[in-house]
Amino acid sequence: MKRQVKRTILEQAKDWFESEKKVVLARVIQTWGSSPCPVGSYMIVNDKGEFSGAVSGGCVEANVIQECLDLIKNNNSFKQLEFKVADDNAWDVGLACGGEIKIYIEKINS
Amino acid sequence: MKLQIINEIIKKKSSNQKFALLTNLTNGNNEIFEFGKLLSNDFESYKKQIENYHSLKKNGIIDDTQIFIQNFTKPIEVIVVGAVHIAQYLVDLFKNLDFEITIVDPRKYFITQERFPNVKIINDWPEEIFKKLQTDSSNALITLTHDPKIDDPALKHALKNKFFYIGALGSKKTHTKRCQRLKESGFTEEEIASIHGPIGIKLGGKSGPEIALSIVSQLVLEFNKLLLNSKK
Repeated sequence: MKRQVKRTILEQAKDWFESEKKVVLARVIQTWGSSPCPVGSYMIVNDKGEFSGAVSGGCVEANVIQECLDLIKNNNSFKQLEFKVADDNAWDVGLACGGEIKIYIEKINS
Repeated sequence: MKLQIINEIIKKKSSNQKFALLTNLTNGNNEIFEFGKLLSNDFESYKKQIENYHSLKKNGIIDDTQIFIQNFTKPIEVIVVGAVHIAQYLVDLFKNLDFEITIVDPRKYFITQERFPNVKIINDWPEEIFKKLQTDSSNALITLTHDPKIDDPALKHALKNKFFYIGALGSKKTHTKRCQRLKESGFTEEEIASIHGPIGIKLGGKSGPEIALSIVSQLVLEFNKLLLNSKK
Protein backbone atom coordinates (compact mmCIF):
# COMPACT_ATOMS: atom_id res chain seq x y z
CA MET A 1 0.00 0.00 0.00
CA LYS A 2 2.59 2.46 1.16
CA ARG A 3 4.89 1.87 -1.71
CA GLN A 4 2.18 2.61 -4.26
CA VAL A 5 0.42 5.50 -2.59
CA LYS A 6 2.91 7.47 -0.58
CA ARG A 7 5.78 8.93 -2.50
CA THR A 8 8.62 8.83 -0.08
CA ILE A 9 11.08 11.61 0.61
CA LEU A 10 13.83 9.65 -1.12
CA GLU A 11 11.70 9.17 -4.22
CA GLN A 12 11.15 12.90 -4.24
CA ALA A 13 14.92 13.44 -3.98
CA LYS A 14 15.43 11.15 -6.96
CA ASP A 15 12.79 13.04 -8.99
CA TRP A 16 14.38 16.39 -8.18
CA PHE A 17 17.82 15.12 -9.07
CA GLU A 18 16.62 13.64 -12.35
CA SER A 19 14.91 16.90 -13.30
CA GLU A 20 18.32 18.53 -12.94
CA LYS A 21 17.77 20.21 -9.63
CA LYS A 22 20.62 20.19 -7.14
CA VAL A 23 19.68 18.26 -4.01
CA VAL A 24 21.06 18.04 -0.47
CA LEU A 25 20.10 15.38 2.07
CA ALA A 26 20.09 16.44 5.74
CA ARG A 27 20.01 13.77 8.47
CA VAL A 28 19.83 13.88 12.26
CA ILE A 29 22.91 11.92 13.38
CA GLN A 30 23.01 12.65 17.11
CA THR A 31 20.71 14.09 19.76
CA TRP A 32 21.06 15.08 23.42
CA GLY A 33 18.21 15.81 25.81
CA SER A 34 14.76 16.28 24.38
CA SER A 35 14.71 16.74 20.65
CA PRO A 36 11.66 16.41 18.47
CA CYS A 37 13.04 14.22 15.68
CA PRO A 38 14.89 11.00 16.49
CA VAL A 39 18.29 10.06 15.06
CA GLY A 40 17.85 8.98 11.46
CA SER A 41 15.15 11.55 10.62
CA TYR A 42 15.80 13.29 7.36
CA MET A 43 14.91 16.14 5.09
CA ILE A 44 15.80 17.05 1.51
CA VAL A 45 16.42 20.52 0.12
CA ASN A 46 16.83 21.61 -3.51
CA ASP A 47 18.55 24.61 -5.09
CA LYS A 48 15.22 26.47 -5.23
CA GLY A 49 14.92 26.21 -1.45
CA GLU A 50 12.06 23.71 -1.64
CA PHE A 51 12.18 21.06 1.09
CA SER A 52 10.50 17.86 2.23
CA GLY A 53 10.76 15.90 5.48
CA ALA A 54 11.90 17.23 8.86
CA VAL A 55 14.88 17.28 11.21
CA SER A 56 13.23 19.12 14.11
CA GLY A 57 9.85 20.47 15.08
CA GLY A 58 10.40 23.54 12.93
CA CYS A 59 13.07 24.93 15.29
CA VAL A 60 16.10 24.73 13.03
CA GLU A 61 14.73 23.96 9.56
CA ALA A 62 15.24 27.48 8.20
CA ASN A 63 18.88 27.40 9.24
CA VAL A 64 19.43 23.90 7.84
CA ILE A 65 17.89 24.95 4.51
CA GLN A 66 20.29 27.92 4.34
CA GLU A 67 23.26 25.65 5.13
CA CYS A 68 22.12 23.24 2.38
CA LEU A 69 21.87 26.11 -0.13
CA ASP A 70 25.38 27.23 0.87
CA LEU A 71 26.67 23.69 0.41
CA ILE A 72 25.20 23.59 -3.13
CA LYS A 73 27.14 26.76 -3.97
CA ASN A 74 30.52 25.70 -2.59
CA ASN A 75 32.89 22.85 -3.43
CA ASN A 76 32.37 20.72 -0.35
CA SER A 77 30.19 17.66 -0.59
CA PHE A 78 29.21 17.33 3.08
CA LYS A 79 29.14 19.21 6.39
CA GLN A 80 28.14 18.66 10.03
CA LEU A 81 25.90 21.17 11.79
CA GLU A 82 25.26 21.47 15.50
CA PHE A 83 22.35 23.21 17.16
CA LYS A 84 22.07 23.94 20.86
CA VAL A 85 19.40 25.32 23.11
CA ALA A 86 18.21 28.82 22.17
CA ASP A 87 19.52 31.64 24.35
CA ASP A 88 17.56 34.69 25.50
CA ASN A 89 17.89 36.31 22.12
CA ALA A 90 14.37 35.47 21.01
CA TRP A 91 15.09 35.29 17.29
CA ASP A 92 18.22 33.27 17.58
CA VAL A 93 18.12 29.87 15.91
CA GLY A 94 18.09 27.06 18.42
CA LEU A 95 15.99 24.44 20.05
CA ALA A 96 13.34 25.86 22.36
CA CYS A 97 12.87 22.40 23.83
CA GLY A 98 16.28 22.46 25.46
CA GLY A 99 17.76 19.66 23.39
CA GLU A 100 20.81 19.57 21.17
CA ILE A 101 21.11 18.01 17.75
CA LYS A 102 23.81 17.23 15.26
CA ILE A 103 22.82 17.22 11.60
CA TYR A 104 24.83 15.88 8.69
CA ILE A 105 24.18 17.41 5.29
CA GLU A 106 25.47 15.97 2.01
CA LYS A 107 25.01 16.62 -1.68
CA ILE A 108 23.40 14.01 -3.89
CA ASN A 109 25.57 13.36 -6.92
CA SER A 110 25.62 10.96 -9.86
CA MET B 1 25.57 10.59 -1.52
CA LYS B 2 25.47 8.88 -4.86
CA LEU B 3 22.10 8.62 -6.61
CA GLN B 4 22.83 4.92 -7.03
CA ILE B 5 22.65 4.48 -3.25
CA ILE B 6 19.34 6.39 -3.10
CA ASN B 7 17.99 4.11 -5.84
CA GLU B 8 19.17 1.06 -3.96
CA ILE B 9 17.45 2.23 -0.76
CA ILE B 10 14.18 2.94 -2.58
CA LYS B 11 14.28 -0.51 -4.18
CA LYS B 12 15.10 -2.35 -0.96
CA LYS B 13 12.48 -0.44 1.00
CA SER B 14 9.77 -1.23 -1.54
CA SER B 15 10.58 -4.93 -1.34
CA ASN B 16 10.54 -4.81 2.47
CA GLN B 17 14.17 -5.78 2.95
CA LYS B 18 16.10 -5.30 6.15
CA PHE B 19 19.33 -3.30 5.70
CA ALA B 20 21.28 -0.31 6.91
CA LEU B 21 22.91 2.74 5.38
CA LEU B 22 26.45 3.38 6.60
CA THR B 23 28.11 6.78 6.36
CA ASN B 24 31.73 7.57 7.06
CA LEU B 25 31.45 11.05 8.56
CA THR B 26 35.11 11.89 7.95
CA ASN B 27 35.15 11.37 4.16
CA GLY B 28 31.44 11.30 3.29
CA ASN B 29 31.43 7.79 1.83
CA ASN B 30 28.18 5.85 1.99
CA GLU B 31 27.51 2.15 1.73
CA ILE B 32 24.59 -0.27 2.09
CA PHE B 33 24.99 -2.90 4.80
CA GLU B 34 23.26 -6.27 4.98
CA PHE B 35 24.15 -9.33 7.03
CA GLY B 36 26.70 -11.40 5.14
CA LYS B 37 27.64 -8.64 2.70
CA LEU B 38 31.29 -7.73 2.24
CA LEU B 39 32.17 -4.19 3.26
CA SER B 40 34.69 -1.80 1.72
CA ASN B 41 37.79 -0.59 3.57
CA ASP B 42 35.88 2.40 4.91
CA PHE B 43 33.74 0.18 7.07
CA GLU B 44 35.24 -3.32 7.22
CA SER B 45 37.20 -2.80 10.45
CA TYR B 46 33.97 -1.80 12.28
CA LYS B 47 31.99 -4.79 11.04
CA LYS B 48 31.36 -6.30 14.48
CA GLN B 49 30.01 -3.04 15.90
CA ILE B 50 27.97 -2.41 12.76
CA GLU B 51 26.38 -5.86 13.06
CA ASN B 52 25.64 -5.23 16.70
CA TYR B 53 23.91 -1.88 16.04
CA HIS B 54 22.00 -3.42 13.14
CA SER B 55 20.72 -6.33 15.25
CA LEU B 56 19.53 -3.88 17.89
CA LYS B 57 18.00 -1.64 15.18
CA LYS B 58 19.97 1.17 16.76
CA ASN B 59 20.57 4.32 14.69
CA GLY B 60 23.49 6.58 15.50
CA ILE B 61 27.19 7.27 15.44
CA ILE B 62 28.88 4.04 16.49
CA ASP B 63 30.81 4.49 19.77
CA ASP B 64 34.40 5.71 19.35
CA THR B 65 34.09 5.90 15.57
CA GLN B 66 33.01 8.35 12.90
CA ILE B 67 30.62 5.83 11.36
CA PHE B 68 26.92 6.66 11.26
CA ILE B 69 24.46 3.82 10.88
CA GLN B 70 20.84 4.21 9.85
CA ASN B 71 18.71 1.09 9.89
CA PHE B 72 15.84 0.32 7.58
CA THR B 73 13.61 -2.37 9.00
CA LYS B 74 10.86 -4.46 7.55
CA PRO B 75 7.51 -2.74 8.19
CA ILE B 76 5.03 -4.56 10.39
CA GLU B 77 2.39 -6.42 8.42
CA VAL B 78 -1.18 -6.04 9.62
CA ILE B 79 -3.75 -8.50 8.34
CA VAL B 80 -7.33 -7.28 8.40
CA VAL B 81 -10.10 -9.83 8.08
CA GLY B 82 -13.27 -8.23 6.76
CA ALA B 83 -13.39 -5.70 3.94
CA VAL B 84 -16.07 -3.69 5.75
CA HIS B 85 -16.26 0.11 5.98
CA ILE B 86 -14.10 0.23 9.13
CA ALA B 87 -11.35 -1.41 7.08
CA GLN B 88 -11.50 1.52 4.67
CA TYR B 89 -10.86 3.95 7.51
CA LEU B 90 -8.08 1.70 8.83
CA VAL B 91 -6.33 1.97 5.46
CA ASP B 92 -6.42 5.77 5.72
CA LEU B 93 -5.09 5.81 9.27
CA PHE B 94 -2.31 3.31 8.63
CA LYS B 95 -1.15 5.21 5.55
CA ASN B 96 1.23 7.47 7.44
CA LEU B 97 2.42 4.86 9.91
CA ASP B 98 5.09 2.33 9.10
CA PHE B 99 2.71 -0.61 8.72
CA GLU B 100 1.85 -2.69 5.67
CA ILE B 101 -1.77 -3.68 5.47
CA THR B 102 -3.39 -6.69 3.79
CA ILE B 103 -7.15 -7.06 3.66
CA VAL B 104 -8.77 -10.47 3.33
CA ASP B 105 -12.39 -11.41 2.88
CA PRO B 106 -14.09 -14.40 1.25
CA ARG B 107 -17.05 -12.24 0.25
CA LYS B 108 -16.39 -10.99 -3.26
CA TYR B 109 -18.83 -8.06 -3.17
CA PHE B 110 -17.00 -6.54 -0.18
CA ILE B 111 -13.43 -6.96 -1.30
CA THR B 112 -13.05 -4.98 -4.51
CA GLN B 113 -10.15 -2.89 -5.71
CA GLU B 114 -12.63 -0.01 -6.19
CA ARG B 115 -13.37 -0.02 -2.46
CA PHE B 116 -9.69 -0.50 -1.61
CA PRO B 117 -7.58 1.25 -4.23
CA ASN B 118 -3.83 0.69 -3.88
CA VAL B 119 -4.22 -1.83 -1.06
CA LYS B 120 -3.19 -5.47 -1.07
CA ILE B 121 -6.48 -7.41 -1.02
CA ILE B 122 -7.07 -11.18 -1.06
CA ASN B 123 -10.46 -12.64 -1.87
CA ASP B 124 -10.43 -15.99 -0.09
CA TRP B 125 -11.16 -17.70 3.22
CA PRO B 126 -8.61 -16.88 5.95
CA GLU B 127 -7.95 -20.60 6.38
CA GLU B 128 -6.76 -20.87 2.76
CA ILE B 129 -4.86 -17.59 2.84
CA PHE B 130 -2.84 -18.47 5.94
CA LYS B 131 -1.68 -21.68 4.28
CA LYS B 132 0.20 -19.51 1.79
CA LEU B 133 1.17 -16.42 3.79
CA GLN B 134 4.38 -16.44 5.83
CA THR B 135 3.52 -15.09 9.25
CA ASP B 136 5.16 -14.83 12.67
CA SER B 137 5.23 -12.78 15.87
CA SER B 138 5.89 -9.60 13.87
CA ASN B 139 2.39 -9.76 12.42
CA ALA B 140 -0.82 -8.24 13.71
CA LEU B 141 -4.38 -9.40 13.12
CA ILE B 142 -7.56 -7.36 13.17
CA THR B 143 -10.82 -9.25 12.61
CA LEU B 144 -13.84 -7.17 11.66
CA THR B 145 -16.54 -9.51 10.32
CA HIS B 146 -17.71 -10.86 13.73
CA ASP B 147 -18.81 -13.90 11.74
CA PRO B 148 -17.29 -16.98 13.43
CA LYS B 149 -16.80 -18.91 10.22
CA ILE B 150 -14.64 -16.09 8.80
CA ASP B 151 -13.00 -14.65 11.96
CA ASP B 152 -12.34 -17.79 14.03
CA PRO B 153 -9.88 -19.56 11.69
CA ALA B 154 -7.88 -16.32 11.44
CA LEU B 155 -7.85 -15.89 15.23
CA LYS B 156 -6.71 -19.48 15.73
CA HIS B 157 -3.91 -19.03 13.25
CA ALA B 158 -2.79 -15.78 14.90
CA LEU B 159 -2.82 -17.34 18.37
CA LYS B 160 -0.81 -20.37 17.21
CA ASN B 161 1.73 -18.16 15.45
CA LYS B 162 1.94 -15.72 18.38
CA PHE B 163 1.07 -12.52 16.51
CA PHE B 164 2.12 -9.52 18.63
CA TYR B 165 -1.33 -8.02 18.34
CA ILE B 166 -4.68 -9.74 17.89
CA GLY B 167 -7.88 -7.73 18.02
CA ALA B 168 -11.43 -8.85 17.34
CA LEU B 169 -14.38 -6.59 16.68
CA GLY B 170 -17.68 -7.46 18.33
CA SER B 171 -19.73 -6.68 21.40
CA LYS B 172 -18.92 -8.08 24.85
CA LYS B 173 -21.55 -10.76 24.28
CA THR B 174 -20.08 -11.72 20.90
CA HIS B 175 -16.63 -11.81 22.43
CA THR B 176 -17.71 -14.02 25.34
CA LYS B 177 -19.12 -16.54 22.88
CA ARG B 178 -15.97 -16.29 20.80
CA CYS B 179 -13.80 -17.02 23.84
CA GLN B 180 -15.98 -20.03 24.65
CA ARG B 181 -15.51 -21.43 21.14
CA LEU B 182 -11.74 -20.93 21.31
CA LYS B 183 -11.66 -22.64 24.70
CA GLU B 184 -13.52 -25.62 23.23
CA SER B 185 -10.93 -25.70 20.45
CA GLY B 186 -8.22 -26.20 23.07
CA PHE B 187 -6.73 -22.75 23.55
CA THR B 188 -5.66 -21.83 27.08
CA GLU B 189 -7.25 -18.98 29.03
CA GLU B 190 -4.00 -17.05 28.82
CA GLU B 191 -3.91 -17.34 25.05
CA ILE B 192 -7.54 -16.31 24.75
CA ALA B 193 -6.97 -13.36 27.08
CA SER B 194 -4.28 -12.05 24.72
CA ILE B 195 -6.99 -11.21 22.18
CA HIS B 196 -8.09 -7.60 22.41
CA GLY B 197 -11.86 -7.94 22.45
CA PRO B 198 -13.94 -5.92 22.16
CA ILE B 199 -11.25 -4.35 20.03
CA GLY B 200 -9.78 -0.87 20.49
CA ILE B 201 -8.99 1.55 23.29
CA LYS B 202 -11.96 3.33 24.84
CA LEU B 203 -12.44 6.58 22.96
CA GLY B 204 -16.18 6.66 23.54
CA GLY B 205 -17.06 7.01 19.87
CA LYS B 206 -19.28 4.80 17.77
CA SER B 207 -18.69 6.02 14.21
CA GLY B 208 -16.59 4.05 11.74
CA PRO B 209 -13.63 6.45 11.69
CA GLU B 210 -13.64 6.64 15.51
CA ILE B 211 -13.63 2.86 15.87
CA ALA B 212 -10.82 2.65 13.32
CA LEU B 213 -8.86 5.28 15.27
CA SER B 214 -9.35 3.36 18.53
CA ILE B 215 -8.07 0.16 16.86
CA VAL B 216 -5.02 1.84 15.32
CA SER B 217 -4.23 3.52 18.67
CA GLN B 218 -4.35 0.19 20.49
CA LEU B 219 -2.15 -1.52 17.93
CA VAL B 220 0.43 1.27 17.98
CA LEU B 221 0.40 1.23 21.80
CA GLU B 222 1.04 -2.53 21.91
CA PHE B 223 3.73 -2.24 19.25
CA ASN B 224 5.57 0.52 21.11
CA LYS B 225 5.39 -1.43 24.39
CA LEU B 226 7.04 -4.34 22.64
CA LEU B 227 9.70 -2.11 21.12
CA LEU B 228 10.47 -0.57 24.50
CA ASN B 229 10.80 -3.99 26.15
CA SER B 230 13.11 -5.28 23.43
CA LYS B 231 15.49 -2.35 24.04
CA LYS B 232 15.73 -2.88 27.81
